[in-house]
Amino acid sequence: MVFRLADNVQVRKESWGLLFYAQIQHRLFFVRSHDWLYPHYFDGTWTFDHMVKDVASRTENSAHLIEKNLQKLTDHLLKNGMVVHELC
Amino acid sequence: MNYAEWPLSAPVNLTWEITHKCNLSCIHCLSSSKSELPGELSLEECKAIVDQLAALKVFEINFGGGEPFLKDYFLSLLDYIHTKGIVTCISTNGTFLNEKAVSFFAGNSLIHIQVSLDGATPEVNNKIRGEGTYHRALEGVKLLAREKVPFSLNIVVTSLNYGQLSEMKELARSYGANLRVSRFRPSGRARDSWDLLKLSTTQLEGLSEWLGQHPGILTGDSFFSISGKGRRELGLDMCGACKMTCCIDPCGSVYPCAFMQETEFCGGNLRKTPFKEIWDSSPVFLKFRQLEPASCRRCPRFSQCRGGCPAVAFYVKKDLNSADPECLANWAREEQIYERTI
Repeated sequence: MVFRLADNVQVRKESWGLLFYAQIQHRLFFVRSHDWLYPHYFDGTWTFDHMVKDVASRTENSAHLIEKNLQKLTDHLLKNGMVVHELC
Repeated sequence: MNYAEWPLSAPVNLTWEITHKCNLSCIHCLSSSKSELPGELSLEECKAIVDQLAALKVFEINFGGGEPFLKDYFLSLLDYIHTKGIVTCISTNGTFLNEKAVSFFAGNSLIHIQVSLDGATPEVNNKIRGEGTYHRALEGVKLLAREKVPFSLNIVVTSLNYGQLSEMKELARSYGANLRVSRFRPSGRARDSWDLLKLSTTQLEGLSEWLGQHPGILTGDSFFSISGKGRRELGLDMCGACKMTCCIDPCGSVYPCAFMQETEFCGGNLRKTPFKEIWDSSPVFLKFRQLEPASCRRCPRFSQCRGGCPAVAFYVKKDLNSADPECLANWAREEQIYERTI
């Protein structure tokens, strides 16, 4: 499964995390993910495991902690309709 | 939202007054539009600005003016912006919404149209926008509705049309559109019509209550200073000028917002300075991000409105650091003073 931005949603990186914009509702969605998440994670090519490996390569955190936190973040984005999960 | 915790690298959206040319002379026009200004930007200059905005991932450009459709290159510019994936919202008086323009919009998810109408009847609207404008705007509205182009009707609430808000909502609904309510502010020609058109305290209270009863009404961020609790949860709770938005004038000067286009508030000009530099380090923009009206600091609502609209404070009180004279808390304070006096 890979992650992709939902239709009509855009995203950009900010110092504190990611800023999503849902263009139909003109709605903003702030995610305080600091340097854990990047917009390219949602281009339809990144699986959850790829993300975990990428974060692990950039931080000192354990794989367990990364998995736990990334799960929370991606669940939050899925629940709020900013990203979708789809088959590779 | 506490901006200090969520600073933005670029605006989320911005207002771009593409021309000052307008075929109408509305008595409340925020920019006193009528004739094209000397030195308005060329299409090539506009495209270069769009390139900068796209690189910064600005999500949305709101076009106003002046009447945007009077700019000869406007549709070409829209085309260019859409190739960058930027959403455009066009504020128009509706009188140039012909078959050609509307067919350009049909099926384009990057376009939203706002048609200005300042009354539910010709009598009220035309007093503000000029003779014949009600029917001419509605002709455009009918075309938009027929082609299923997403649009809203936009009303600037004044003492003349305050009593027609529910009729306006119904009128918009009848065309499959939302109603957008904007705040009347004393800039441009509105300075001359302020005393005639401004809402009384009773009307402001009534408007706050009406907005609370109609959560589907669009307001942007204009009303955070008068919105009740329920309404405030729907959107931004502070002035977004220099924090989330700003304004580009027809000649490329950048201001905190469309209502603050005074020389002293100019952050720079895009012919000389890159947008990012103005956004990050112009003294005016830095100052705006720190605005905290002294009289509001002890107000329990301060964290929710940060003093209200600086433009109204500036034009009415001549002091940028003054509280928004139309805010709910101001009325409460006045009532307390009144009770103590009694």
